[in-house]
Amino acid sequence: MFIYDKKLQYPVKIANPNPRLASVIISQYGGPDGELGASLRYLSQRYSMPYDELKGLLTDIGTEELGHLEMVGAIVHQLTRNLKDSQIQDSAFAPYFVDRTTGVYPTAASGFPWSAASMAVKGDPFADLTEDLAAEQKARVTYDNILRLSDDPDVNNVIKFLREREIVHFQRFGEALQLLREKQNQKNVYAINPSFDK
Amino acid sequence: MDMNKPVQNGGYGRLPANAPLANPYVPFQMEDPPKYEPRTAIVRGTLFPGLDLPFMNMVNKKELPVTPLTELQTMGFVLHELALYLDTHRDDKEAFEVFRTLQNLYTKGREKYEKECGPLTHRSPMEGRYTWLDDPWPWEYAGNPEV
Repeated sequence: MFIYDKKLQYPVKIANPNPRLASVIISQYGGPDGELGASLRYLSQRYSMPYDELKGLLTDIGTEELGHLEMVGAIVHQLTRNLKDSQIQDSAFAPYFVDRTTGVYPTAASGFPWSAASMAVKGDPFADLTEDLAAEQKARVTYDNILRLSDDPDVNNVIKFLREREIVHFQRFGEALQLLREKQNQKNVYAINPSFDK
Repeated sequence: MDMNKPVQNGGYGRLPANAPLANPYVPFQMEDPPKYEPRTAIVRGTLFPGLDLPFMNMVNKKELPVTPLTELQTMGFVLHELALYLDTHRDDKEAFEVFRTLQNLYTKGREKYEKECGPLTHRSPMEGRYTWLDDPWPWEYAGNPEV
C-alpha cells in the first residue's frame, strides 16, 4: 500500500509567480514524458517482472516518480499563485487558464490531456526495461528544454534535481537489464519471455 | 577530487567481457563508488559524482538552508539513493552498512522533526488535537524553507 508522507522529496519555494513558465512545466505533470506516466509505467510493469531485483527497482523508482509528480505540481501551483487578470491576459497561460483556472491538471504543454498511450506495459522484461531506458532519456530532454526556457533560479534548481534523477534511474534500469540477462540462456537471451514462460 | 576525470570520480563502469549481441548495455556502476557529502548530494540530485552529468554545466552549487525539514529531506534522499543502488548491488556490504547507519539516523530524524513540526503520517504521534490537518501542506509556498 501507499502511505502519504507530508513532505516533498526536495523543497519547492518559488518567490516570483510566472504563468508563462507554468504553461510549459505542466508537461512534466501530464505530458508524454512526464512524471505521471513515469510512475504509472513502472508501478504497472512491476506485476509481470520475474525477479526480485526487478520487482524492487520498479517499485522504488515508480514510488519516487509519484514524489516527483507532487514536486512538479508544487512548481505549477506556486508559479500561478496570486495572479491578477492582467498577468494572464497576454500570457501563454491564457489557454490553460480558461479551462482550468489555476487548478493543476495532468496535461501536456500542447493542451493534450494525459494519455495512457504515452506509456507502455509489454509484459516482457527486456521490452519493458528497454522502454524504461528510453523514457528516462525523454524525460531528461524535457527537463533540458525547460532549463532553456527558464531563467528563474528558484525553478531551475528544482528542475536540475529532477533532471539528474532521470540519469540515475537510467543507470539503474541499465543495470537491471544486465541482471536480467545474466539469468537467461547465454546462447539466446530471447529464447523465451521470462515473464510468461516459466 | 577532480570531477573532470571520470576514472577517479567513479564515472566509468564495468561491461561484460563477452556479451550477447542485439542487447542494450549500460556499464555496471562499480562497488563502493565515490560519494558526495549528503548536503551536496541532495542539491546535485545524486549521491554519486560519477553519475552527476549536468546540462550545459548548469550546476546547483547552493546548499539548502539547515532547517528541520531540509535535514530530514537530505537524510531521506541519501537513504533512497542508496536503496536504488542496493536494488542492483545487493551484495555490496559496505553500501549496506552505510544504508543501515542512515536508517537509524533517519528514524531519529523523523521523531525529532515530528516533535517540532507536526505529523508526517496518520501513524505519527499527535498530542491533544488532530494536528494532521495543520497548514502548510508540502506543495504550498509557506510549506517550504527559503532556498
